[in-house]
Amino acid sequence: KLASNVQRKFAAAAGAVVAQSLRTLSSSADHADKIEALKTLNSFLDDAAESGATSAAEREEFRRAHYSRTLRVGVGLLQADWMSAAQRSQLVEPLFLKGPPDQALLALMEAVSQLSPSAGLDRLVSVTESFLQSGRLADLLWSSCLQSGLPGSPQLDEALLARLTALPDITANKLRLGNRPLFAPQRYYPLLASEMLAALERTCQALRDGTDCSVAFVAQTLGKVCVQGHSGPVLAVMAPRLAVCTRSDALWQRVCWKLLQNVPERWLEGVLTGLVQAVKSPEAFSRIVGNLALTNKKAQFVLTHKVLLLQYSYETQVLRTVLGHLASDRERRPLLVQVCAARQAFWCSERCTAKTDCNLKISYIFLKLVYLIRLSLVLFTIDLLIKQTSIMTVLPRPGQVSRYFSRFPINSFCPANRILRLFCCRPSDDDLTPYDMSGDQETGQASPPRYLRDCLETLMSSEDSERVELSLRVAESLVRRNVFAAKEISVQMTKVLLHMEDKYSISGFLALRQAAMVALAVTDSVPVTQYLTAEFYSLNYSLRQRLDILEVLALAAQELSTPFADKTSPSAAAPELTSYPATDPAHWRQVVEKRIQSKTRRISKGSTHRGTKAAPNRYAPAAGYFFFPLLRNYDKPEVTFDLLGSDHLVLGRLIHTLGLFMHLAVNAPVLFMHLFLFCLMVRRGVLFAVCAVFLSMPSQSLLVDLGEQLFETRTWLSGKNQIKCITTEEEKKNTIFTKN
Amino acid sequence: MARPAPSPVYTLRGAGAPLNTLHFRCPAGDTPLLFSGSAKGAIHMWDLNSRRAEQVVEAHCGNSVIWLSTLRSGETLISQGRDMQVCLWDLKDGRSEVVDSVWTGSVGFCQCSVLETSPSNFLLAFAGPQTEEIKIVEMPGKNPVCSLVPDAQLGMVMCVQLWKPDSGLGPLLFAGYEDGSLLLWDVTQRSELSRVKAHPEPVMCLTFDPRRLRGVSGSCEKKLSSWMLDSQNNIQLQDCVMLVNPGVSQLRVRDDGRLLASAGWDHRVRVFGWKKLRPLAVLQYHTDMVLSVAFSDHQDPRQRLLAAGSKDQRISLWSIYNQGPDTV
Repeated sequence: KLASNVQRKFAAAAGAVVAQSLRTLSSSADHADKIEALKTLNSFLDDAAESGATSAAEREEFRRAHYSRTLRVGVGLLQADWMSAAQRSQLVEPLFLKGPPDQALLALMEAVSQLSPSAGLDRLVSVTESFLQSGRLADLLWSSCLQSGLPGSPQLDEALLARLTALPDITANKLRLGNRPLFAPQRYYPLLASEMLAALERTCQALRDGTDCSVAFVAQTLGKVCVQGHSGPVLAVMAPRLAVCTRSDALWQRVCWKLLQNVPERWLEGVLTGLVQAVKSPEAFSRIVGNLALTNKKAQFVLTHKVLLLQYSYETQVLRTVLGHLASDRERRPLLVQVCAARQAFWCSERCTAKTDCNLKISYIFLKLVYLIRLSLVLFTIDLLIKQTSIMTVLPRPGQVSRYFSRFPINSFCPANRILRLFCCRPSDDDLTPYDMSGDQETGQASPPRYLRDCLETLMSSEDSERVELSLRVAESLVRRNVFAAKEISVQMTKVLLHMEDKYSISGFLALRQAAMVALAVTDSVPVTQYLTAEFYSLNYSLRQRLDILEVLALAAQELSTPFADKTSPSAAAPELTSYPATDPAHWRQVVEKRIQSKTRRISKGSTHRGTKAAPNRYAPAAGYFFFPLLRNYDKPEVTFDLLGSDHLVLGRLIHTLGLFMHLAVNAPVLFMHLFLFCLMVRRGVLFAVCAVFLSMPSQSLLVDLGEQLFETRTWLSGKNQIKCITTEEEKKNTIFTKN
Repeated sequence: MARPAPSPVYTLRGAGAPLNTLHFRCPAGDTPLLFSGSAKGAIHMWDLNSRRAEQVVEAHCGNSVIWLSTLRSGETLISQGRDMQVCLWDLKDGRSEVVDSVWTGSVGFCQCSVLETSPSNFLLAFAGPQTEEIKIVEMPGKNPVCSLVPDAQLGMVMCVQLWKPDSGLGPLLFAGYEDGSLLLWDVTQRSELSRVKAHPEPVMCLTFDPRRLRGVSGSCEKKLSSWMLDSQNNIQLQDCVMLVNPGVSQLRVRDDGRLLASAGWDHRVRVFGWKKLRPLAVLQYHTDMVLSVAFSDHQDPRQRLLAAGSKDQRISLWSIYNQGPDTV
């Protein structure tokens, strides 16, 4: 109650202010006062100015009760000459463009038809123009959609509808040659059509949000426009858009059906005939119209009789659209059968001559249809056609049919399958039964090679990235598992791996390749190391490959020198495999022994753990193959590889690797006799490398960056001086050796 | 119980090279033909009645043929090769000779797109010599219409499709770029109407259905991206379809708007219902990447075929979802 009191108070206050302003405008002589009053009136229409002088309730009240009066005053002001153009566009025009659009349109149209040609009329027409251009028609139609629950006044609606549909006539009558282009029918009606579409779009949106809407007024507008003969331009805009919207959106479809249902019957014919000409396909027509022909007698009459049987002016496409529409749905097909039956009855009657049936095209279609319906009894099991077997009794006489057929060559018009397709309705995806798709597995599981030779083959020649990757991944384990097979192809495989490039960006490529090469070098040490050390000094290799060689050799040497830790060593596995209880005479003794052991309690068990099993050092016999060949050519520069020149990076690694070999050979008897010599060699190499560093680096950065190392080197060198005399003596031997 | 997976109706062998592109021409009352373009520059014209190559033409100096099409009249064949030429062939009365050619200047793999504006004229869109450039020329006069270059760096043009909307606007063009962007161009205004990032990887292929204003694009990943055009011509991304294996070479929608087919890098052709993108079938026959798919344009829906061309040098033909719903 309090709220309603407050509202009433607001309304009264707003009424007083408006009345005061209007009075000022009509009677005051002071222009400043009038401008102020106009500003007040405008503030009631300005929704954006929330913080302004007016509240929402006041604005509502103004629109309801005072707007039409204000508009009348506005019309007067447009004729007055005391305002400047800017003032008019800022203060008077918004009165027409911001308020309720229906009242504004009525006021504008009324004023246009009443005023005599003058400057005031021109201004009024301009305002009308901007009214149309600013999309107010859509707002008008939309506001009518929203007032679904409210009982509107029929007279007002009628007047509004008349103005809306006849705006080009009103303006043309008044303005004659001075009419504006926007008011010409060829521009106004497409505009009206797109505004109707906009209103429908908002309706769809509102329905989605759960608001009730009514499309009755839009339907009336559409009907009236069409019946006045403007269906062409209006539907040329609306039909394509509706066809697209209804394709994917069921809500749009419902809104379209509702729209057509709401068109008053007296106007329905205009809408339907316009629509059937504007759409491109039977499917689109069916989506927009739905089953209107079944629910609305008028629509049924128009579609089945007027368009198909009575009026002969339509294009063939129109006939196809209607026939397709009728045929495409199970519920509409009886209508089609009725039409065919009616046509047949006509043909069979005595009245039928070629002259009376002037649209021969349609006759042709019907003849084909009738034939196809007969055919369809065989092809399709359309239950409905079986029910309507009466149609069979009125088929045209064979002579008549052949006469028609001979007159129109089959290819000239409407191929048979077109009509055939009419009978196959357009179903949704759901009618397509899926095939079995269980075979659709991930293809990533291409099996890796099982044999070493396959693996090698793939690595050598395959272009399939997946198979190459899989082969590379299993290469190491294949080599280690099949020692004998590996020995047969070790060198070849090493060669392939050494030259392999990472063409397919395999993750971990370098590590995988290295592991495989190490496995080969370990499995078949002598030939592989011979090959690798020989390749180290040969011509066409990149630094990367030479460094790879060194790394592989170092890792292989390391692995060889560590004791062979194979859990499935033959000695452990053999007894289990060979011992067979019945044939082993000592078996029972062991069982007894075990029992005694388990029953015996011992204070101290001692060490049952035997420690690492002794195994021959596998590195010892091969150490020479690792070490000596690498020493052979270090001072022989090649075109692409100058160890003592630009490639000291490799030299550094080489020395490091050689040192590693020495260290790993700590238990190898073979090397003892050359030990001293090699120590010497390594030292010389290191010395050389140090010198190379000193020479190549700028002196200042040498001191700054390598100060610590420099100091270390110095102490090391001073220690070396003591054995320098030995070095010189041994030098001769060394040179002899390296030549060998 | 699902029906067992289908098998090809028949296969065409002997092309001797991977088949990059396929195109049907099946006019009523004439021999149905299938054109195929190979990686060795051969264009085969397969007679679908005898299932033999009726004619083999060496084109594009042995360079790979990446796209083929015919005009509606059926007497002109257009072929695009990696020698940067688009050739027009006269097929009248069993002839096959080059009557005209256009230099594209693009070294990429972007297939052309053609739009017939009138019975005698058509627009041809192709990737231009610059990285992001699309050129459109009006044929047969070879009049340049426009050159479309986006204002951002999107990488190479990967695929294009020209189409004309019902609303009476000028021709529009969809283009997929290397960075996964999808652009809609207005050809007459030379302006960009909409842009979305449809994929993280290059857009390998796209197809758009102008009647439903819906399209779908594929990339080298495990999904297809579907999108829609709203009334303001903005591309709206919709839900995507997950694939079992990554990589799609080509996508096609059947003329009746019911089926979508994808050529997969996993050797398989996948068939989806176009309305809801529901998976319907997986066609397994090929032993290498499928590079192209095409639906035939038979007038009688029962004769319609689906063809797939693969890197394994074979073409497989499938008859799938060809009957009316009453007889399936």
